[in-house]
Amino acid sequence: MQPVKPFFMIALAVVIAGLGGCETATPPAKPAPDPAVQKWAALAALPDWNGVWEIDWRNTRGSAPRPQMKLTPEYQARLDTYRKKQKGGENLQSEGANCVPPGLPGIMSQPYPIEFLYQPDKVVMLTEAYMQFRHIWTDGRKHPEDPDPAYMGHSIGHWEGQTLVIDSVGFTTSTMLASGVPHSDQLRITEKIHRVDKDWMEIETTLIDPVVFTEPYTSTISYRHLDDEIREYICLENNHDGADEKGRPSLKLEK
Amino acid sequence: MKVFIRAATAALLTMTLPAMAHHSTAMFDFTRTVQLEGTIKDFQWTNPHTWTVVTVTGKPAVAGEYGLEGMSPNYLARNGWTKRTLNSGDKVKLAIHPLKDGRKGGFMVSVTLPDGTIHYNLPRRPE
Repeated sequence: MQPVKPFFMIALAVVIAGLGGCETATPPAKPAPDPAVQKWAALAALPDWNGVWEIDWRNTRGSAPRPQMKLTPEYQARLDTYRKKQKGGENLQSEGANCVPPGLPGIMSQPYPIEFLYQPDKVVMLTEAYMQFRHIWTDGRKHPEDPDPAYMGHSIGHWEGQTLVIDSVGFTTSTMLASGVPHSDQLRITEKIHRVDKDWMEIETTLIDPVVFTEPYTSTISYRHLDDEIREYICLENNHDGADEKGRPSLKLEK
Repeated sequence: MKVFIRAATAALLTMTLPAMAHHSTAMFDFTRTVQLEGTIKDFQWTNPHTWTVVTVTGKPAVAGEYGLEGMSPNYLARNGWTKRTLNSGDKVKLAIHPLKDGRKGGFMVSVTLPDGTIHYNLPRRPE
């Protein structure tokens, strides 16, 4: 190949510069907006849930007590047996004593704060208890056809005004909905989360499981705003507590 | 003190399974409160619970080394405690809910420092 002659390159540059100069006469086309930037900017319209939120576990807000669960005969019988064993010293301690996280919905009613983080495709929930996280996909995706069983399930959500509406499926059956109330693989959980005022957030949770309940079970929990931050919580850091396979509690005095 | 115990017990009893973070209190006798006097051997500011080892010198309780569970640093830090609230060598008075099985241990209700300051593990009354 012949080397390109320098004078030719200079001439070409002059021609291009000249053409550029001609184009400034008409305004340049506006660059197409960057979808990624637009998605981040859209987050500004979401409600301010900054800070952390602590369950009102002493009910200082005076909320109505949670309603009774209406169980199918099979699951009522299971609960009766569970409670009978409690009188004999069993089922007094959950696997939580061995540092196994409770999964959804139990993770939402721990006496430690939760925090919300917004991203364009999801809301991330951090729970201080057991240092857990939840991903709530808000990008319009569907649940997987055949989700792997998970403690938190698979969650998709959307905003209805200032309320985040979450639908979750795909739960492992190794968790309990309440003391003595297990569930089937048909469990579906919906949550409606909204900030009531400066101090309070409410989460209305509905549990649907035709194997367990004769009708969907709905309850509402209040969370208080704390100007605070999530702390570390390593359950196995120094755990003296335990539960055996029958739920009998223990306390190790020596580690 | 009795009023406080009742209030604290009431607060605890209202904690249902999901609300009690990590475990129940089934191994402690919440109907009884025992007074201890001794010296802090070790104060462990750790999750899921604080753990205090106290060398109890005798009256009013049986002498020996006691292991006391307390609320988590996460909870206590939001209620006025720090990792330096108790220090090895501190001579203290304690109120505990003893273990049901009679071993030397329990749940720490409160601790009184030499200067008379009292620190509580649980709220003194429901707010």
